[in-house]
Amino acid sequence: MKNLLNRLRGVERDVLESPADADAPFYVPQRDEIDIFRAAWSRRLPVMLKGPTGCGKTRFLEHMAHVLGKPLVTVACHEDLTSSDLVGRFLLEGEETVWQDGPLTRAVKEGGICYLDEIVEARTDTTVVIHPLTDHRRQLPLDKRARIIDAHEDFMLVISYNPGYQTVLKDLKPSTKQRFVGIHFDYPSEAIERQIVAKESGGLDADRVERLVAAGRRARALKDHGLEEATSTRALAYAGELMQAGLPPRTACRAAMIAPITDDPELIEALEEIVAAHFPETDGAPTGSHG
Amino acid sequence: MAEADELVAIEEVLQQLERISFVAQRDARAALPAIRGFGPAPARAWIETARDLFQHDRECGKSFMRHSERLAENTGVVEAWTGQSREFLQWVNSHYALEGFLAQADRVWSSWGEAGEREWFALGLRWCGRSLADARAYFETPFDRLDGGQGPAGLRMLIEPAEKLYDERGLALDCYLAGAPVARNMVGDAGLLNWARRGADLLAAGRSRGEAYFRMESEEGMKLLLEALPGYRARMHGRFLQLLLRAWLEADIPLADGNWKPGQGRPMLETDGRRLYLPAVFGDRDEAIVAVQHGAAHLAFDSYAQERLEALFRRAGTEHPPLDDQSRITWRPLFAPFAERMFRFQVLFDLAEDLRVNARMAQRIPGFLQRLVDLAVDRPAPEGAAGVYHRFALDAHRALLAADRGLSGKDARLDPRLQRMLDPDASVIDAWEVAERLFGDPEFPEIGIDERQHAYLPGLSLNAARPVYPQRLRDGDLSDFRDVGDAHEEHRFVREKQDEAPEQDPAGVQKDPDADINMPREETSGSGGRIGVGIPQPAQVAKRGVAWQPRTGGIPYPEWDYREQRMISDWVNLNERILDEENAAAAEGILAEHADTLKRLTRGLEMQRPMRMAPLRRQLDGDELDIEAVTDFVADKRAGLSPKAFIYRRRTVQHRDTAVLLLADMSTSIMARHPGGQGRIVERMRSGLMLFAEAIDRIGDPFAISGFASKQRDQVHYYWLKDFSEPLDDTVRGRIAGISGRLASRMGAAIRHSTRAMQRVASQHRLLLILSDGRPADYDDGGDARYLHEDTRMAMKEALDTGVHPFCITLDPSGQEYLPAIFGPGHYTIVDRVDELPRRLPEIYLRLRR
Repeated sequence: MKNLLNRLRGVERDVLESPADADAPFYVPQRDEIDIFRAAWSRRLPVMLKGPTGCGKTRFLEHMAHVLGKPLVTVACHEDLTSSDLVGRFLLEGEETVWQDGPLTRAVKEGGICYLDEIVEARTDTTVVIHPLTDHRRQLPLDKRARIIDAHEDFMLVISYNPGYQTVLKDLKPSTKQRFVGIHFDYPSEAIERQIVAKESGGLDADRVERLVAAGRRARALKDHGLEEATSTRALAYAGELMQAGLPPRTACRAAMIAPITDDPELIEALEEIVAAHFPETDGAPTGSHG
Repeated sequence: MAEADELVAIEEVLQQLERISFVAQRDARAALPAIRGFGPAPARAWIETARDLFQHDRECGKSFMRHSERLAENTGVVEAWTGQSREFLQWVNSHYALEGFLAQADRVWSSWGEAGEREWFALGLRWCGRSLADARAYFETPFDRLDGGQGPAGLRMLIEPAEKLYDERGLALDCYLAGAPVARNMVGDAGLLNWARRGADLLAAGRSRGEAYFRMESEEGMKLLLEALPGYRARMHGRFLQLLLRAWLEADIPLADGNWKPGQGRPMLETDGRRLYLPAVFGDRDEAIVAVQHGAAHLAFDSYAQERLEALFRRAGTEHPPLDDQSRITWRPLFAPFAERMFRFQVLFDLAEDLRVNARMAQRIPGFLQRLVDLAVDRPAPEGAAGVYHRFALDAHRALLAADRGLSGKDARLDPRLQRMLDPDASVIDAWEVAERLFGDPEFPEIGIDERQHAYLPGLSLNAARPVYPQRLRDGDLSDFRDVGDAHEEHRFVREKQDEAPEQDPAGVQKDPDADINMPREETSGSGGRIGVGIPQPAQVAKRGVAWQPRTGGIPYPEWDYREQRMISDWVNLNERILDEENAAAAEGILAEHADTLKRLTRGLEMQRPMRMAPLRRQLDGDELDIEAVTDFVADKRAGLSPKAFIYRRRTVQHRDTAVLLLADMSTSIMARHPGGQGRIVERMRSGLMLFAEAIDRIGDPFAISGFASKQRDQVHYYWLKDFSEPLDDTVRGRIAGISGRLASRMGAAIRHSTRAMQRVASQHRLLLILSDGRPADYDDGGDARYLHEDTRMAMKEALDTGVHPFCITLDPSGQEYLPAIFGPGHYTIVDRVDELPRRLPEIYLRLRR
């Protein structure tokens, strides 16, 4: 009953649901990623999205799923993820047993894009489950039910992978890696980043967007000098939103771009200095003195 | 006595003098007319004093008579100083003190009056009683240097601690006076005694060390003083400034300590084309930021580009810029033609050049010009000649700022002669030409060396303060800028340090106030030419198989030669060695110092510790049922399958099964002084290794720690600090606390040896952590950095192939230039704050094993 209510209220929806007829999630292509993805889609090849945190991997996929009109099933992978979490399991219902498909199985059966986020976090034995899906067989074996499911023609597998330094000991197995088409993501170019920030922040004025993006790009140069993750496009968008919500620019930047990523006092000072150089006025009123 | 008697007496003394010495009589007669005016009694007292002093010590008498005329005229009395001079009769060899006294007694008199002069004399006389050398130092030191502008009271305050310490510790006054007046300005009268006492302690420990302290030539001396100095301490904020440069220019420009000392005028940033040398303090934070950004602008926009400098020298008529012993260009020949007007030209030249690079920098850094102009406006403008230049520079920058904002009007008008400097293609040569044109303008007054420093806007500084290493043309792109301090330089550095010679050879430095001229004399000892740049070539080239005596007894390893694309087998000879430098006491010290960190770390370790009972799901047996597994089991069973009964949960020690070997670079470079703080890098390394060992020991992972150093290919030393089988005990701790740097770093062979050692360890994951502070280098790499890079990369690949995961932790901020190529992205991390190493090292490991 509660489930039904939630569904009516729109809070809860099925994992496998085709995108509604609204605008596609906002995405500005950086390079040729849309072409590559479309090509891979047309041949139903599995895709691997690589790139740093907050550069738009997930958004890209949402966008593509929407454009292609296919449901997107996202599974965030973690250490304790078992293969039955992906594939499905038997449940008891009354005196009966009922097989419940896992998200992967549903996507395979019904045709959809299955997105395994941060796949390296999952245990290697789990990732092996996807092997038969990623080659010409396009099959998902269900050991427990002694079945083999041939993938729906619209099924597509996408994984994401962030080659940071936490992956030294648990990199993807080469045998897994080479089954995918790789699309490399990085932070977008300055012009594109401006478009994104302007849009995501809900219409921040061009001057402040320009400064914000310029500051963000400067801050990115500090990666590896104490910053483990560079200032992401997402963080810039958040800062823009905070400004749009009425915060002074410096405060907004501190809250969205500095405080979350570091506790190192000198790094904070350097980042604040960068922000202050781009937003010289404390009140945030642009004067056009941007040099 | 009647007047006539007095005159007779004077005449008698004169005749006595004549019998003793012709010179004495002549001098007395010369001075006498001036003295006679004060009456016969003082004149007689005077001539008797002259005679007595002459008989006591010829030099005393001569000094006395020589200075008398002037003293009488300036003080208007005779008895006072005559009587005071007589006091010197008490001591043999008091001539120098007396000479010093007489030379400035009249000036003391006119500044401080009679009472003041008497006090000054009395203080000095007390020193005669202690030691004549000290009395001489006292009287010879200009009195107005001693009083700190507070008259006799100031003098008393200054001398008091010295008297106290002389009586207590025998501290010599001349030693004390070398630094006390400056120190007083910084620590105040109250802090002076402590300052001097510390110096006396050092003096007791070692003469040269103590003297250097008082002369403020040693770090110890400076440290104490600088703590009391107001302003923005560059060293404490070095990393911040470095991060700023990193962010704005995407370059790692090395910052180093300059040699500015308190009392030496305005602190200014200097550069030699490779590094920026920061003075110990800046006026405030804004000035420091401007200075560093401006200094970097010179590097980025080719103020020191070889091509440009050569062109400049050609213009000036010198065909080739002469290089000094370190292949640096010296500026002297450029400015020499301006002779005594050199400073005037230098200021104008710097002014034009500063404007040029600042205009370019303003394109890069928003707010840069604004900050500079604000600073210059806030500070009081200098007066006199310097003021003219200062105003001119400020107006030019204001105009630049106004133009940048699109404003017009009076402020935006730039002197047309400077217009050329704003062209994006202007160069230092144009600055020279503009300066020549300005030089002809009589509006600019002559300027002396003392005033020169005030002609510069805050944050800006002499561009030719140091000889420079010529750079290649960069035109704003500093991305490949790096510290070229090579192995050779580090080597020399350590050698110098080990000698522990007095900080600088005073004889080697000319005491010219101009820093440009004030260079150490050329090094003429030793052998080798002065031509060529880069890593010095070894005198003996170890050509393959030629004249090379293989050292036996070690373990041979191959090496990868990228030039031939092949492995050279048995090329490197590696020896395992015992490290005999244990230091158990220091180990305790390190543990005590980092007790807090360790405590905090321990809490984090609890999370990762295998002692924590982790629930194991889906076990065949165990303490409780795993509900989820049971459901699956029952469901599967009902579905007609025959599942295995993996339905229990068991809490047990979770075994992550990672073995780690930490391989530390133990080359000479770790002995270098910590760039942003006290002490040496090696001290942080010791602490880091210690905490690492303690942390891992608590987790219970099998681990080992080793170090390596090399001297050419046949001597790679590999030191086990802790073997996998050894327990972490006091011996191991002592070894860690005793590590020191030696020789070079041939990393490939060390990685191969470590890999081999790790293969013997039974573990699921094998992690090889390499702790390094620079790129791999060795004496026989012939300056070809790529050779050892490629070999290290190959060694890293071999390790990966055998299931060992290498990961490099480097202290080298420029590590990202070469580490991605060697270890691959994500397989290295840069700890650019050496102070953080002790904390970060265990953290990095914990993160990796997660």
